[in-house]
Amino acid sequence: MNFSFTSPWYLLGLLGLALPILIHLLTRRQQTRLKFSAVYLLQQAQKRSVRKSRPNKLLLLLLRCLAIGFLCLALANPILSSGELQNTLMSRPSAHVFILDDSYSMSASSDQGTLFHHATQTLNELIEKIPGNHSFSLVLASNPARMIQDWTEDPGKTLKWLKAARPSHRTTSIGKAVTAAVDLLNTAPQENKQIFILTDMDQNGWNRDEFPAALTEDSRIQINVIDFSGFQKGLNRALVKKVKLGQEFLTNRRIIRVQATIANVLPDRAIKQLPITLFVNGKRQSESTIDLPAKGEATHEFSFPLLNNDPVSGYVEIPEDAMTVDNRRLFVYQPDHKIKALVVDGDPRGVAHQHDSFYVEKALNPFSSPMADIEPTVSTLSEFSERDLNQYSVIILCNVRDLAIGLEQELEKFVLRGGALFIGLGDQVDPKYYNEKLGMLLPVVLKSINQVRIEDKPFHLLARPSSHPVLRVFTGNMLKEMERIPFRTLYSVEPRRDRDFKEPMRFSNQFPAVIESEFGEGKVILYVSSLDRDWNRFPIHPTFLPWIQRWVKYSAQSLENISRYDVAVGAPLVLEEMERPPLVVAPGGKVSIARKNPKSPPVFEDTHRPGVYELYQWMNLSGSDVEDSPSPTPKQLPGDAKRVGSFTVNIDPAESSPGKVSEKELSQYFPGTQVSYSPAEQALNAASVGAGVPLTTLLFLMLAVMMFWEGWVVRKE
Amino acid sequence: MAENTQFSYAPETLSEISSLSIRAIQLVEGLLSGHHRSPHKGSSVEFAEYKDYSPGDDIRHIDWKVVGKTDKYHVKQFEQSTNLKCTLLLDASGSMAYRSPDSKSPGMDKRDYARTLVAAMGYLLLKQFDAVGLTLFNDEVVSHLPPRSKPSHFQNILHGLQDMEFKGITRVEEVVGNLIERLPGRGMLILVSDLLTREDDIFKTLKMLNSRGLEVILFHILHPDEVTLPFEGDLVFESLEDDPDLGLDPFDVRQQYQKAIQEQIEFYKKNCPTLGIDYLFLETTTPLEQVLRYYLLRRKSLRKI
Repeated sequence: MNFSFTSPWYLLGLLGLALPILIHLLTRRQQTRLKFSAVYLLQQAQKRSVRKSRPNKLLLLLLRCLAIGFLCLALANPILSSGELQNTLMSRPSAHVFILDDSYSMSASSDQGTLFHHATQTLNELIEKIPGNHSFSLVLASNPARMIQDWTEDPGKTLKWLKAARPSHRTTSIGKAVTAAVDLLNTAPQENKQIFILTDMDQNGWNRDEFPAALTEDSRIQINVIDFSGFQKGLNRALVKKVKLGQEFLTNRRIIRVQATIANVLPDRAIKQLPITLFVNGKRQSESTIDLPAKGEATHEFSFPLLNNDPVSGYVEIPEDAMTVDNRRLFVYQPDHKIKALVVDGDPRGVAHQHDSFYVEKALNPFSSPMADIEPTVSTLSEFSERDLNQYSVIILCNVRDLAIGLEQELEKFVLRGGALFIGLGDQVDPKYYNEKLGMLLPVVLKSINQVRIEDKPFHLLARPSSHPVLRVFTGNMLKEMERIPFRTLYSVEPRRDRDFKEPMRFSNQFPAVIESEFGEGKVILYVSSLDRDWNRFPIHPTFLPWIQRWVKYSAQSLENISRYDVAVGAPLVLEEMERPPLVVAPGGKVSIARKNPKSPPVFEDTHRPGVYELYQWMNLSGSDVEDSPSPTPKQLPGDAKRVGSFTVNIDPAESSPGKVSEKELSQYFPGTQVSYSPAEQALNAASVGAGVPLTTLLFLMLAVMMFWEGWVVRKE
Repeated sequence: MAENTQFSYAPETLSEISSLSIRAIQLVEGLLSGHHRSPHKGSSVEFAEYKDYSPGDDIRHIDWKVVGKTDKYHVKQFEQSTNLKCTLLLDASGSMAYRSPDSKSPGMDKRDYARTLVAAMGYLLLKQFDAVGLTLFNDEVVSHLPPRSKPSHFQNILHGLQDMEFKGITRVEEVVGNLIERLPGRGMLILVSDLLTREDDIFKTLKMLNSRGLEVILFHILHPDEVTLPFEGDLVFESLEDDPDLGLDPFDVRQQYQKAIQEQIEFYKKNCPTLGIDYLFLETTTPLEQVLRYYLLRRKSLRKI
C-alpha cells in the first residue's frame, strides 16, 4: 500500500510542524522555579497521582503536530493505492506494454469460466485505471507473438477488443512477446517503462532462447508478472497426443487402423481405465479404456472397416478435465483402393524378361488387370528423377546403382511422410553410394558380396513359421519350398550404431535376408539379394508372388496419407505437391486462398483454428488461376471447384504440460532487470479495491477530530 | 535588659536582635500580665565551687578577692535552686528557611516564627527562673548553649538565634543521638521543627528521649503553603535541602500532597500522647500567644502533679 499525491507541493507545509514544537519549547522555558521545603513529599505525591498535566502538554504538542500534518496531507490530495501493480500504474507518466497470454493453456477452467476470462478481466481493470497521461499497448503472447494495440492513451478500443477476446488454440511464446514489447518500448518517449505479463506461467511458453538479450542492458524496464494459474479449477489429467491412421491392405476387407497415443500429464499419478472414444464422420465408432502410467503415455489401436472410398474424418476423444482443448484430436484420411507402386529398374536390358524389374512388375500385377490391388509403374533411373513421388505409395528400387544428386533427399522426405521404400540389391549396386548417401534410410551398411560357386552349396532361406504380418501366411509346404530356393549371391550387412530394425527373414547361415526399419511415418525394407534371377531363383518360385505382394501391401499406406498433413495450430502449411495455390475451406466454412510463391510451393498460413481443412482446385471463368484473377477470393466455394485433398489442424500438445515456471526462475529470464511477481488473486483484489481511493475527506475529518481533541484538552487544563 | 554589653555586633544585627527580643518580651509580658507570678522565685544560692570565667558568666559572680590574689578570674558557682532545666532544640535545616513566594501570604516566615517562638520560650522560662539552653541542629549539632537560668542568658540565646543560618538537611535521630549525653538527666526538651525529613524513625528518637525522663514538647511548625500547596502553573520545585529539582504542575499532586501532610500531622497527633510527648502543630499563622499560653497551662498542670 502506498500514497501518491496529486498536489505534492502542499507537503512542504509539513515544515509547519516546527511551529507547535517551538511553542512547546518556548512554553517550557517559562517554567517558574520555586524553592520549596517538602520536595520529597511532592515526589511521593507525584508517584501516587493519576493526573498528569505535563504529559498533557506533550499530548497537546502531538495533537497540534498531527493537525498540521493532516492539513498538509489533505491539501496534497493523497490517493491510496494498494498493491505493487497499482503503485506502478499510478507513478509518473509511463509507457506500459501489456502481454496477454492467449494460448490454449489459458482456456483451463476456473470458477468463473477460464483463466483467460480472469486475465482479460484483470487487464480490463488495469487499463481502466491507467491515468490519462500514460500510454499503453497490447501484445498477445500466443505463438507467433503479435501486437494487437499500438501505443495509445485511449483505452476504449482495447477494452472493446478485450470484451470479445477468446483464448486461441496456439502455444505460448512469452519470449517473443517480450521481444515485441521491448521493441515497442524502444519507440516510447517516456522514461518509466513497464511490461505487464498476464499468464498462467505454462513452462512451454518460457523458452530462454527466445527472450531478448537487449532487455538485460535496458534496466529501466520493469517487468511485472501476474500469475493466473492459481485460478485453475482441477487438474489437466491427460491429452490425446497423437493419432496415426493406416490402411490395412493385407486382409481381404479394407480396414482403417487408428492408432491413438494418449499421454498422462500428471507427474505422480497413474490413470486407470480412462475411457477413450473414436468418432468417425460425426458418429461414435468405437469405445475402449486405457491405462496410463504416471507422466507416461500409452497407445490404443482402433480399427474399423472401410465401406466406401470416401474420405474419412473424425477424432479421438478422452473425457473432460480441467483443460478440454487437448482432449480431442482430429484426423482425416483418404482411403485408396489401389496401391500405386513405382518400380525403378536399375539395369534395364533389351529383353523384357531380363529387366531387373520384370519379375517384380509381373508379381505385383500378374494379369496387368486394372482391377488389381497394386498398380505397378516401371521407371528407368533417368525417368525416376522426374516422377512425382507423392503419387506413389511404394517405391521399389531394383538393382539401382545410385541416384541422381538430391534424389536421396526426395526419397527421405517421401518415407518421412509415410511412403514405403523397398530396396532390392544386385550387381549394379554401388555399396559405397548406399552406405554414404542412404545412411538415413538404411539402418545397416552393405558390407560385402557373398557369392558361392556353382559347385558349392548355395545359401538357403531359414523359413520358419513367423508371426510377422507379411510372413504369417507362409506355412507348411510353402515354407519347405521357400527353404529349397537356392541363393548364389547376397550382400552381408552390418548394423549402424543406435539404429532400430527388424530382421523378419534370415538365411540358414544366420545372414539377414530382409531388413525392415521405420523412418518417419514410412517404412524401408532392404532385401539383400536381387529381385531378378541373377543372384537367386526366388523370382521364378511360386512363393515370390505372394511374398512381394504382401511386402508391398504391408508397407504401403494410402496415397492420401502421404499427401495428408497434420499441422499444429498457427503453423504455416507448405503445399509441396501443389503447383497452383488451392482454395482452402476452413472448419467454419470460411473460404480463403493459399499464398502463391514464385519459386516455392504455395503456403497456407491461416491455420488458427483446429479442424479439418478442405483443399479445392478451382479454375475461374477466365481459365486462369485464382491467384491471377482480378476478382477477389470467392466468399463461397464455387460449384465447379474440385476437391483435391484435406488436412487437419490440431493443437500442439506441448502446451498441455502441467509444468509451470516458478517465481524464483523468473529472474533467470530477465537477468539484471527488476521483476515483480504477483499471483492474480492479489492483482485482482488490488484492482477491485481500486487504484485511487482519495483520502482528502478522511484527512480533513481527522484534522477536525484533532482540533476538537486539542480544544478539549486545553479546556480541561 | 541590655545589661550585657561586652559583645560587639553590627548595627543591623543588633536591631534585629532587639526586635526579636522586643517581640519575645512583649509576647511574654503581655501573656503574663494579670497572671500569678511564677512560683520559682529567686531562691538563695549556696556556694558550690569556682570555675574559670567564660563569656556569658555573670560578672557579679566573679570572686574579686581571688582576682586580687591570683590575677585570675574565677567565678563562684552556686547550687541553683531552679527546678527545671529546659533545652530548646531548634531545627536549623534548609527546610525551615521556606518563605512564601507570595508577599501577601498570611503569617510570618517560618524561620522568624520559629526563632520568635524559641526566643519567647527562652524568655518565659528565664523569667520563671528556669534554666534554658539552646541547641541548633540540622544534620549535626550546629551550636549548643547549655541551660542557664540567669536572666542575662537570654542575650546569649538571642545571639544564638540571630547568628543561625538555616541550611543543610534535617537528621533528628543522629543529632539527638549525639546530643543526648549532653542533655540534663531530667528536664524539659522543647523541639521546634517542621519535621520535613525522609527519616522514618523520628518517633523512635522521641521515644528514646522520653525514656530518659525528659519531658518533651514538640512544636511542629509549617507554613500554610506547605500544608495546602496553593501554587499554580508549571513549576520547578527546588529543594531547600538536598532533594533533586522536580518539575510538575501542583494541580496534579495537590490532593495527594495535602493528604500526605495531613497524614503526617495526624500521625504525630495520635502517637505523641502515647509517649507522653506534648505535640502542638503550628502553622505560622497561629498566634504565638496561643502557644505560650499552651505552655503555661502545661506547666501549671505539671506543677499540680
